[in-house]
Amino acid sequence: MRRAAQPSEYMQLLANALIAGSLAALIAGGLALVYGVLGVFNMALGQLVLFGGYSTWWLHQVVHLPLIPSVLGGLASGALMTWFTFEIFVNPFYKHHRFLPLVTTIAWSMILDGMMLLLFEERPRSILPGLKKTFEIQGARISVEQCILILLTLVALLAFAYVFHRTSFGRKLRAVVQHDSAALSLGINSAVLHRVIFIVSGVFAGAGGIFIGIDQNLSPTFAFPLTIKAYAAIIAGGKGNIWGAIFCAYLIAGLEQVLVGVHWFGAFYVPAGYQQTVALLFIIFFLLLKPSGLFSSQSRTA
Amino acid sequence: MRKFLALSSLAAMALAACSAGGGDTIKLGFIGPLTGDAASYGADTLHGMQIAVDEINAAGGIGGKQIEIIAEDGKCTGADAATAAQKLMNIDKVVAIIGGQCSGETLAAAPIAEMAKVVMISPVSTSPDVTEAGEFIFRNSPSDALKTKAMAKVFAEKNYAKIAIISENTDYATALRDSLVAAVGTDAMVFNETSEPGTKDFRSLMTRLEDAEFDVFVPNGQSDAFIAAAMQQYREAGFTAPAFSQDVADSANLGQIAGEAVEGMELINTSSKLGDTGPDSFAVHFRAKHGEPQSNLSFATLSYDATNLLAKVIGEVGTDGTAVRDAVAKITYEGAAGTFSFDANGDVVGIGYVLKKFEGGKIVELNTVTPD
Repeated sequence: MRRAAQPSEYMQLLANALIAGSLAALIAGGLALVYGVLGVFNMALGQLVLFGGYSTWWLHQVVHLPLIPSVLGGLASGALMTWFTFEIFVNPFYKHHRFLPLVTTIAWSMILDGMMLLLFEERPRSILPGLKKTFEIQGARISVEQCILILLTLVALLAFAYVFHRTSFGRKLRAVVQHDSAALSLGINSAVLHRVIFIVSGVFAGAGGIFIGIDQNLSPTFAFPLTIKAYAAIIAGGKGNIWGAIFCAYLIAGLEQVLVGVHWFGAFYVPAGYQQTVALLFIIFFLLLKPSGLFSSQSRTA
Repeated sequence: MRKFLALSSLAAMALAACSAGGGDTIKLGFIGPLTGDAASYGADTLHGMQIAVDEINAAGGIGGKQIEIIAEDGKCTGADAATAAQKLMNIDKVVAIIGGQCSGETLAAAPIAEMAKVVMISPVSTSPDVTEAGEFIFRNSPSDALKTKAMAKVFAEKNYAKIAIISENTDYATALRDSLVAAVGTDAMVFNETSEPGTKDFRSLMTRLEDAEFDVFVPNGQSDAFIAAAMQQYREAGFTAPAFSQDVADSANLGQIAGEAVEGMELINTSSKLGDTGPDSFAVHFRAKHGEPQSNLSFATLSYDATNLLAKVIGEVGTDGTAVRDAVAKITYEGAAGTFSFDANGDVVGIGYVLKKFEGGKIVELNTVTPD
């Protein structure tokens, strides 16, 4: 083929990093919020991602609804499934000890894995099969769907930042994060807030799954690696710091792309098999230097 | 739901096979994945074996004795296949075994079969390692060592001198890559990368691929999900060089999910028309009983042939393991898949390869390829 011009190659790497980073931020952001507000680990997150994607696939490819209603339906069924997860596997337990849901959601993730195998079979599924239309910006090739993902993630993050820091609902949220009981004594219904936050995280996760189903393809064994990466971002970002988690989600995804894509020192390439390992090793190394995470602070800031 | 029905019908078959037993029967074992990701291979091969046994029993059995199938789930893993082999040989005392299906199953069960002097014939395992698995281990699907020689021959014919390959990091795919490297030479591999199983994001590799000069791209996955994602991102990155793959790409599902991304892609596999030769062929009997095969008709055909071959040999020399082994090694068998025999290592001779191509979303068979 051709010797690619250097600048366009870096633009392509940047685009790749933005695509992977937006997906990671979407999945990890909601999870960080749940951890910040409830102090709960939801190990069934990857399965909720896939459930949102598979529901959309089913609505679009089996029921033959148009794409937009299918996506909305996928988000709604993701929200319903997350709500169900909260009521059965989290709500009865987390008040006793915040580590109990760790066990119950692992059990639920295994049940969901089996359920999705039965419902959707083991073969891969694609919401929009075939090739996507791509175009070039500054030498980087990108598809319309990928642009939409990057922009929608940005919009979602900005909207969330506005709600969180500029509205009374956001103030209530931050109050619950800082001190649950104190907030309750001031008349904030924290039980309802917990439920809302948990479901919102599920909707974000479902949106991530829908993107995977459109841009790549869905397979039922894909859930656990998704969960692990989201947790790496949360831990590296400083537990409970949502902006730290989102930054680290972009950082890890970007590192993975750059590590493998760059001709290091003009001498060697990192083999693709090390892609995930090296990025996570970097995080471990960073935590050795700063064990509380990149953006930790004295009090939880959500 | 379809999977559940398939599983329950398999379970019902297994039960029926058990209840048919008692007293004076000849027991044949089956090891294959009946549950899990690879269950479709297990279903097809067990169905093929069942059809052979039903036909033989209806015609009076072997020397008046009915055949009984004892099916065990190997789950496509070595550990489960080893447990299954122990049970079949020590408790059921089977005369011979059809299996395993996944190469990992066959390799794990092989030492146990060697110890017990029980013949195993695998209709599906293609790993080059199975060649050396032992004296009692046969297979009537050709080794991947041969498949890569066939690929190398096609590459030479098409002037594909420089090859770019991305492999999935599994036993099957890396072994295939290694024997392809051996067949075409290290210098021909201008881009050789391995990704973790289940990878769906190949964009950085595609960015790097732009620096390589290559004639053909080989997506070497263990699953069609891997090949679909690699091919979509390959075409979306703007590459126009042809693509060439192996038997995993011989999947109707791949055409559905990757669409025009795999259009024109060629691949090499055994013919999926094995046994599909006419109005009274095995394929017709299979479809009448079990509908369309879940993975590939040729798996069922080879399992059907292996079962009939064993029945013929047992009818001639009796049930002694060593006698059966010697007779299988010498036989030239005319089956539904064609006429085949085994070489000194128990590898099949006579089951050839076919060059196939994605055309209009369907896989069409172009011509047979005989490796030199």
